[in-house]
Amino acid sequence: MHEQSLVQALLDLIEEYAGRYGAKKICRVRLSCGRVSGIEPACLRFAFAVQSQGTVADGAHLELDLLPVRIYCFACEQEIQDEAYHAVCPRCRGSAVVLVGGTEELKLIDMDAE
Amino acid sequence: MKIPVVKNVLDANNRIAAENQALFAAHQVYTINLISSPGAGKTTLIEKTIAALRTDYRIGVIEGDIQDTCDAERIAKLGVPVVQITTGGACHIDSSMVREALATFDLAALDFLIIENVGNLVCPAEFSLGEHAKVAMLSVPEGDDKPAKYPLIFHVSSVLLINKIDLMPYVSFDRERACSDARKNNPQLLLFEISCKTNAGMDGWYAWLRTQIASIRQ
Ligand SMILES: Nc1nc2c(ncn2[C@@H]2O[C@H](COP(=O)(O)OP(=O)(O)O)[C@@H](O)[C@H]2O)c(=O)[nH]1
Ligand SMILES: [Mg+2]
Ligand SMILES: [Zn+2]
Repeated sequence: MHEQSLVQALLDLIEEYAGRYGAKKICRVRLSCGRVSGIEPACLRFAFAVQSQGTVADGAHLELDLLPVRIYCFACEQEIQDEAYHAVCPRCRGSAVVLVGGTEELKLIDMDAE
Repeated sequence: MKIPVVKNVLDANNRIAAENQALFAAHQVYTINLISSPGAGKTTLIEKTIAALRTDYRIGVIEGDIQDTCDAERIAKLGVPVVQITTGGACHIDSSMVREALATFDLAALDFLIIENVGNLVCPAEFSLGEHAKVAMLSVPEGDDKPAKYPLIFHVSSVLLINKIDLMPYVSFDRERACSDARKNNPQLLLFEISCKTNAGMDGWYAWLRTQIASIRQ
């Protein structure tokens, strides 16, 4: 649900940088966020499609890099990546783990202007 | 043409949060952002906390709600300053809403500010308000799987209150699992198991708050 607020903030940022570079139309926007950052990619895309209408990014293609979940496992003594967070180590199934990555907040990386 | 940016989308929110934080620091107002699912017991906790601490501290409350004002009315009955933020559909409070609400308080006349966020375990986690601490609350009937399912809120909070422990005999809630999963998201997380109904465990919470409120005073 908060994707609506995120997209509004994103569009403000896009307008700011498009203006700075004198871009009239943005055709591609690249974002990144962690897999457990609380963002639903489908909601984000939908909100973007609706809210970008009439803006400089109207019709722009949205690319979203999902950063993997990373846990540190005390049994394996190493950091391990996973597609989702399960509160256990995907390697040894052990429970002595700490979440160390995947919570990164939504970032605008770059964009292409026509 | 490629335009490089590399900026957090919520930078604007974070900037205003930093301004709020500076206001809290300047007026020495210890501020918490209370986050939970609807019905976990946030408003009840605030009522209890006011009753326990009001003789020693001047307390204010910001109530976030999607539309109605019942919670604000509950707090207003206690005679402490309270401001209602109606988010108009948004599932979280953001820093500019808090900035607006702060303008209606006399911050110099406050020691402790409690912000009750909108009932939601996901969205409020991302929006910093300038608070000293995020306090997450989980109630026993919601189940012990929440820390594994919604890691972010436990990751960003300083404290986890497990409320309604009086209901432990009636529902299956594995407290070991809930606590250990919550700590996997945040090894520094401070845990209090409480009941706002029987007052079990509340003294620990109050003691912690007293230490925090004192810690920001010169
Ligand atoms: N059994 C029990 N009920 C509680 C406890 N704390 C709150 N409640 C009840 O839970 C319901 C929701 O509480 P409320 O404070 O309005 O939750 P909020 O939506 O998080 O603000 C109310 O009926 C409370 O009386 C508790 O520790 N034990
Ligand atoms: Mg409430
Ligand atoms: Zn392992």
